[in-house]
Amino acid sequence: MASATRSERLNAAAGQQVQRVRDFVDDTEPAALIVVTLIAVSLLTAFVGFLAVSNLTVLPFLLFVAATGYGWARHQEETALILTLTMTVSTLLILGLIIVFIFRESIPVIQYETATVFGVRVPGLRMFLQPNWDAVSPPIRYSMVPMIHGTLLVTVIATAVAGPLGVAAALFLSEIAPAVVREFVKPGVEILAGIPSIVYGFIGFTILSPWASDQFQTTGQGSYLFVGIVVGLMALPTVVSVAEDALSSVPESMKSGSLAVGTTDWQTMTSITLPAAFSGVSAAVLLGVGRAIGETMAATVMLRGVPRLTEPLVNVFYGQETLTSLIARNYGEADGLQMDALFVAGVILFITVLVISIGAQYIEWRMRSKLGGEA
Amino acid sequence: MAGATRSRLVEGETTATDAVAGATVGLSAVLFVLAVAAMFERVSLTETIAGLPTVALLGGLLIALGVAVIVFGVGSRLGYVETEPDSSAGLIASFGAAVPWLVIGGGVASETLGLGVTGGAAGAVVVGGLAFVATAVPREDVGSTVPLGALLAFVGAVFLTGTIGPAWLWDLGWEQQASITAEFLVPAATLFCALYGGWAAAKAYGRFGARGRHMGAYVLVYLNALSIIGFLFVLIAFVVVRGLPGLLTGVQVGAGVGPQVFGSFELPVSLPFVMNGVALLNDFQGVLPAIVGTIWLVVGAVLFAVPLGVGAAIFLTEYAERGRFTQAVEVATNGLWSTPSIVFGLFGFAFLVPRFGNRKSLLAGMLTLGFMLLPLVLITSREAMLSVPDEYRDASAALGVSKWQTVRSVVLPAALPGVVTGVILGVGRIAGETAPILLTMAGGTFVPGAQTVDVVGGFEFTGSPPFVANPELLQATSALPYQLYALISAGVGLGSNVSDPTGFRWATALVLLVVVLSFYAIGIGARYYFRRQLRHE
Repeated sequence: MASATRSERLNAAAGQQVQRVRDFVDDTEPAALIVVTLIAVSLLTAFVGFLAVSNLTVLPFLLFVAATGYGWARHQEETALILTLTMTVSTLLILGLIIVFIFRESIPVIQYETATVFGVRVPGLRMFLQPNWDAVSPPIRYSMVPMIHGTLLVTVIATAVAGPLGVAAALFLSEIAPAVVREFVKPGVEILAGIPSIVYGFIGFTILSPWASDQFQTTGQGSYLFVGIVVGLMALPTVVSVAEDALSSVPESMKSGSLAVGTTDWQTMTSITLPAAFSGVSAAVLLGVGRAIGETMAATVMLRGVPRLTEPLVNVFYGQETLTSLIARNYGEADGLQMDALFVAGVILFITVLVISIGAQYIEWRMRSKLGGEA
Repeated sequence: MAGATRSRLVEGETTATDAVAGATVGLSAVLFVLAVAAMFERVSLTETIAGLPTVALLGGLLIALGVAVIVFGVGSRLGYVETEPDSSAGLIASFGAAVPWLVIGGGVASETLGLGVTGGAAGAVVVGGLAFVATAVPREDVGSTVPLGALLAFVGAVFLTGTIGPAWLWDLGWEQQASITAEFLVPAATLFCALYGGWAAAKAYGRFGARGRHMGAYVLVYLNALSIIGFLFVLIAFVVVRGLPGLLTGVQVGAGVGPQVFGSFELPVSLPFVMNGVALLNDFQGVLPAIVGTIWLVVGAVLFAVPLGVGAAIFLTEYAERGRFTQAVEVATNGLWSTPSIVFGLFGFAFLVPRFGNRKSLLAGMLTLGFMLLPLVLITSREAMLSVPDEYRDASAALGVSKWQTVRSVVLPAALPGVVTGVILGVGRIAGETAPILLTMAGGTFVPGAQTVDVVGGFEFTGSPPFVANPELLQATSALPYQLYALISAGVGLGSNVSDPTGFRWATALVLLVVVLSFYAIGIGARYYFRRQLRHE
């Protein structure tokens, strides 16, 4: 039943689209229509040519430029419409291309790492069943387990740093700080977001790592603990700015109502503002987690670059490798299966972060509809 | 709180009690500063401060702070101090007090008494549970002071009696060897104790109750904000101080010392670090190719992403009806925004590099960064266009002009400030990115000055398709963030090229920071300017 209504709805939607296109065709002069079609077709051809690595790509592209120029001069209205539409579609297209290309590159190694469980051959499973990464001496194995372990430890530590500090700073900015102070602190947080990750990594590498190695008397330098702290500081601005948006989207009337009953500012925050904005604040922390997972350069520079598990697993004073640093460190000398294995790491990163991003958007959307504010 | 008027209705006189509570807050601030200083080895644990051994001094101060907090709480309970406590300190305070006691109970039971993991867990639960009960059950003035005060006094006593002295060491006994040293534990414990003491003292200063909690929370929140800003300043100052000597090596000021620009005009300043490449015969080596590479990268990315992003934003806000399509684009844009930069690098490597002559090239780097910039431009432009009031559009439509004319002459100009600010901030972000260009564009560690890219002069026409070629665009080159990464990973091998490798690295970091932060400064300044203009209207 549900599927029937769903397909009916889809049909209706498609019908509407067809109707709109038909209206557009009816309302537009034939000359403009030809130009618009020419623009669309030539751009599509150019795109196909680019995908096929053709030297002739430039011909349809030149046609596109010419058609656009002519259309802009004679039928600006329609040309603008078709141009902005193609630009919108290309955003979707880029995401689609990323998915297609990084998946395609990772297929060989997924096939290589097939494992049999209960008589069923599952491609790629062996990468998650044993913790051994060895690209040189047989048996050649590309396990993702050590890197997933590293990414997990770093992300947990980074979230423990960025979550509480970020939410507290967001409360400060949105509810507590006097206007003058906010004018200084808010750009400060933005600038913090702007400091390049390689600079963090450089300071971590030259100052923090030797210091940590000395303090905890470890052999050699590089620990998940301090990579986690540095990455947490880098994720902090994301948490602050998203959480601040969520907190300030709580309607002023709710806060004033609470204050009018005679509560202190802090009571209003803990019993009205934070609960109302809770989902938005958790979305902020989630996005911070996404940033922490994807952080590359600081981890690459500060970690040891040996893909194996730490002993014991909770030993955060040693830092081996994360998914991101594996790619950044090994792309140079890798080829064949090893390069494909790097793409597997990329696929894991991409899917994880995409799921987190969509989850955060869903939470924010629910919060907005709950508070009844406009989008 | 925004919108609420601040006024102090009751202006109480400062009493002796206030003074004591205030002094206690001050004492915890002193301890906090001492702990931070000891953490970064500005204060040595083995030496003395004012004639006292550092650890003993910290211990003594902790005991004093703990006793002061307890005395305040008990005094309030017995009625010597006038306060307005609630019936209980509440769950958050109870958890806050339970956690450190949990750690202490576990540590003492498993290590000091040698009861092993099970005994440690039992000890942790018993001691932590006691602290929880001691905070949650009594009236607020006792509950929020006595367990914390006891914690401070306990830690202080451990330091003062020398149980944990400067030479204390706890080998964790792990396969990959690691130990907790006094060097780390003493400052860290002092730091947390100072925070707890300050929190309890601030509550007492606010006379407990709703006002006390307000005070306690505000102290922590203000401290947090202050630390973030302080961290930013320390970070920047650190890079500047370390980088300046390297940046200024061989600097000359005077007429005619600089390189020639625009034909014959000679700059009055010579700053070899940013004006030279690397060459065998140079007196001073520099990073000019990397700077020029960064500039061209940014130009290329902006040329690609800004028209695309702004166009898509126009379609989404002005033409499209809200529905599945716009929702899909929104989800895709936000997904692109959070995609890790290294994944963009992989994508560029798999998609762009084979299409531009199968090698790393400036063009591939530009487009990869353009892909990264696109979602930022789209999101900020969309926000700017959505914030243009509908009255503007209605008024324009009422004049009988077409939709595109409305967009072009009403919506775009009104949204321009937001778009420009967003683009500048986005550019600041991508200018510092290393990971994507690592896989798509970057070449060797040192690029000779002769290989500084000259994109404009590189265009040439050819007889066969694609008719236009630009070898400069199709060559690997360097950029500042990559240069810094290459300098770090090159390690010792650097010495043969550069006389002072460390100074060279820090100077590169400084130049990168200056380039990126100047984008941010311009962006933030532009926003400030536009906002003031709007207010004056």
